[in-house]
Amino acid sequence: MELRRPVRQAPGAEELRTYLLRRLLQTIPLLLGISALTFVLLQLAPGDFLATMAENPQVSPAALEAMRHRFGLDQPWWAQYLLYLKNVFLHLDFGESFSRHQPVFTVLRTGLANTLLLACAAAVVTWALAIPLGVVAAVRQYGWPDRALSFLAFFSLSVPEVLSGLLLLWLAASTGWFPVGGMRHLDHDLFGPLQRLGDTLRHLVLPALTVGLIPLAGRMRQMRSSLLDVLRLDYVTTARAKGLSESQVVVGHALRNALNPMITLFGFTLGSLVSGSFVAETIFSWPGLGSLTLEALNTQDQYLVMGSVLMASLVLIAGNLVADVLLAVADPRIRHA
Amino acid sequence: MRGRAAAVWLALGTATLVSGCGGGGTAGSTYVDRVPLLPDTMTTRMDEIGRYGGRFVVGATASPKTFNPIMANETSSSDVISQLFASLTDIDYVTQEDIPMLAKSWDFSDGGRTVTYHLRRGACFSDGHPITSEDVKFCFDVVMDPALHPSMQDAFTMEVGGKQVPFTYSAPDSYTFVVTAPATDALILAHVANIRVLPKHVLEAATKAGRFASSYTTATPPESLVTSGPWRLKEHLENQKTVLARNPYWCGVDAKGRRLPYLDEVVFRVAKDQDVAAQMFHAGELDGLDNVKSEDYKKYAAEQKQKGFVLYDIGAHFNTNFLWFNLNRVRKPEKGKKLGDPKVEPWKFAWFSNRDFRRAVSMAVDRDAIIRGPYYGYGVKGWAQFTPGNPRWYDATITGPDLDIEGAKRLLDQIGLKDRNGDGVREDATGHDVAFALVYNADNKLRQAISTLLQDDLAKVGIKLTPSGLDFNTMVTKTRHEFDYDACLLGLGSAVPSDPGMGPNFWKSSGLTHYWDIGQPRPDTPAEARIDSLFQVCIGTTDLAARKAAYRQMSEILNDECFVVWLPTLELKIPIRSRFGNVHASPMPHRIMWNSAVLFDKRPGQKN
Repeated sequence: MELRRPVRQAPGAEELRTYLLRRLLQTIPLLLGISALTFVLLQLAPGDFLATMAENPQVSPAALEAMRHRFGLDQPWWAQYLLYLKNVFLHLDFGESFSRHQPVFTVLRTGLANTLLLACAAAVVTWALAIPLGVVAAVRQYGWPDRALSFLAFFSLSVPEVLSGLLLLWLAASTGWFPVGGMRHLDHDLFGPLQRLGDTLRHLVLPALTVGLIPLAGRMRQMRSSLLDVLRLDYVTTARAKGLSESQVVVGHALRNALNPMITLFGFTLGSLVSGSFVAETIFSWPGLGSLTLEALNTQDQYLVMGSVLMASLVLIAGNLVADVLLAVADPRIRHA
Repeated sequence: MRGRAAAVWLALGTATLVSGCGGGGTAGSTYVDRVPLLPDTMTTRMDEIGRYGGRFVVGATASPKTFNPIMANETSSSDVISQLFASLTDIDYVTQEDIPMLAKSWDFSDGGRTVTYHLRRGACFSDGHPITSEDVKFCFDVVMDPALHPSMQDAFTMEVGGKQVPFTYSAPDSYTFVVTAPATDALILAHVANIRVLPKHVLEAATKAGRFASSYTTATPPESLVTSGPWRLKEHLENQKTVLARNPYWCGVDAKGRRLPYLDEVVFRVAKDQDVAAQMFHAGELDGLDNVKSEDYKKYAAEQKQKGFVLYDIGAHFNTNFLWFNLNRVRKPEKGKKLGDPKVEPWKFAWFSNRDFRRAVSMAVDRDAIIRGPYYGYGVKGWAQFTPGNPRWYDATITGPDLDIEGAKRLLDQIGLKDRNGDGVREDATGHDVAFALVYNADNKLRQAISTLLQDDLAKVGIKLTPSGLDFNTMVTKTRHEFDYDACLLGLGSAVPSDPGMGPNFWKSSGLTHYWDIGQPRPDTPAEARIDSLFQVCIGTTDLAARKAAYRQMSEILNDECFVVWLPTLELKIPIRSRFGNVHASPMPHRIMWNSAVLFDKRPGQKN
């Protein structure tokens, strides 16, 4: 290992660039592997896109054959995959959805945007709750707030997403406080800008809670233990000895260092939030990537499945990358490893 | 800092709790028809004269996949497409009769081979461009395009003297269109009605460039989607809603000569899950559901007055349920098997191919128990392709072997299937237990429940049935391609029109959905040969009485042979808000919206 500039200096832009470039290059074989695996799994699944159509007594074998040919499903699977790769690399063409006759990314675009919106809202729920609650639990270790929060954390951890989603939906239906699913009021377009924002937020609350509560317990406990570790260190004792108030000690000195490990976790949750929202999307009729992917899988809309899997993977990889970069910025030693 | 951000977020959340609710946006009957009426208006049949304004929000389980009528292949698309695009003729869902639409009349000639359509003068697309026979011809050209080969193309070829001969068509003048079939086709009007009229002036360029399939997709901007039906597209949000607004040029009028449709908007709102859709209906977010669970009928019936809706009883479902035994044979060379060998084990084939065995199974089934149980009392027995819900084709004289446990036991004894070792299960002469597996698609809860009842029913006559729920695609692969199963529980959906002629693949021995023995090169049994020729009679004449007679005979042979064991059909009830008038829900798709042009809101602008 070659010795670089002193560790205390801010990370060099050039170093960060090479690091990013290396990570980006690494994603290419990764995505290739994911696409190959998805393709093979799709081939192993029984039937194909035309299987349901073949059930229709009015669709003749000739029409099915013509469609099979048009979609390229009459080719052996490896030939289909090679053609797919060729189109991706030469023309950046990720194929067409069989059912919609549109390029897959046209189909997936709005779904992805909606899923990311839900994921970000869920991240806000998770982190806005996890950090303060974790701090409270750490500061009042073994006190009643700590015990109550631990209980709640484990309780929410053990309730499956489907159940909590359905319970929240039931709450919405019986009280009328929140809309029963969907993303916008039917008259959304007639609303003023503030009302529109409010409308979307109102639709967002329950699904975001459903998704955001899953990792909450874990993050809260991690925040708690991380802060507890820091609170035991000498410099905290020093700070206390200097006569600083307890809140100054915790917020000003301890919390900043205790947050360090949470940064990595933040990036990781970003990635998993997208896949974590699929169940909630179905329960709350949220028009996201999840509903599209599920529908594509059910109908075996081959390239739509490929597109959405690649997109979800990309988000996951990006999340991890953000985590690594954040960590690299926070701790320059990482980049030398 | 973080605290403040959270506070703002929460405040916004509560502020919208108050503002987010509220009534419909399209209030009042403000519509003023500014387009002069055409010379040939179409007076549409309705119960009462309606009033302008309001909208109907109907639940949909999925978003449309395309708005292209020729490329659409599933109901979430065709439900919306049938609102957007009209055909030359249509079907009255109440009487099932052909009615004029873009064509004001038609004549048959050549002994029913040729139809001459007379188009409505002055009918226009939603952009004001007149609809002429050139547009109809353009659509026919697309449908018959060999490279595109849409699934509806095959309806326009007929086998004559062993050769596939296509229909011919021409547009002698702007308002006349002529279609000629190679031989008399009972369904010629219905087939032509499947072709919805598209604007040539919009789509010709894309079609010439080979881009027809990717035209009129869900990504097409609503203003460039020029339609020929009562509605045009206003907005489409994938997996959220599809909003239709009235086509200001539509040719339909009411008895007072006022232009239809009455409603300002029709909204298809997506609720994938049936329970969520029910909650949305109760919360007032949907005005009608086209599908509710039979177990909830009672609850809906009890709540209707108080909650301002009507649970419409629309009669028996058009979809049938039945089971059949695997009589498929080896058709392609296969290791260890000869061509023509049965696909199931030879001893099973010996039972399955025995008419008396199949009849005994049918006689063991307690259909009343199925109606009482999984159908919650809302079912009717059906013995043919057409259920009592179909006024045109239902024939009460067709029956099949119903419950008779002693009779079933006698039949099984007669064919040598007896319980030789006293374990309660019969054995055949070779010592094999009379046991088989019944596959069904596990996502269908009704079929799951039925298969359990069948297991008990057959146990009573000494037959061991094992229900086997499979993923839908796995089931299709096993029953349609690999023929690796014993028996299968499935059903047939309904076509529009619901006519035996629409199901050649089911009836004909060469058909792909002739489930029990698919794709026979020559009829395997004399009974199937007779059904084949009766089917030709049924589609080869326009004489309805002769067609009905042929259908009855086909059904009687089918039931006599018990190729399929018919099971009861569900009765349909659907809830619709009582403030809507001219509601005539039908078992055919789309159950509520088929007469959307005459639906009206009695109190537009008010909730409930």
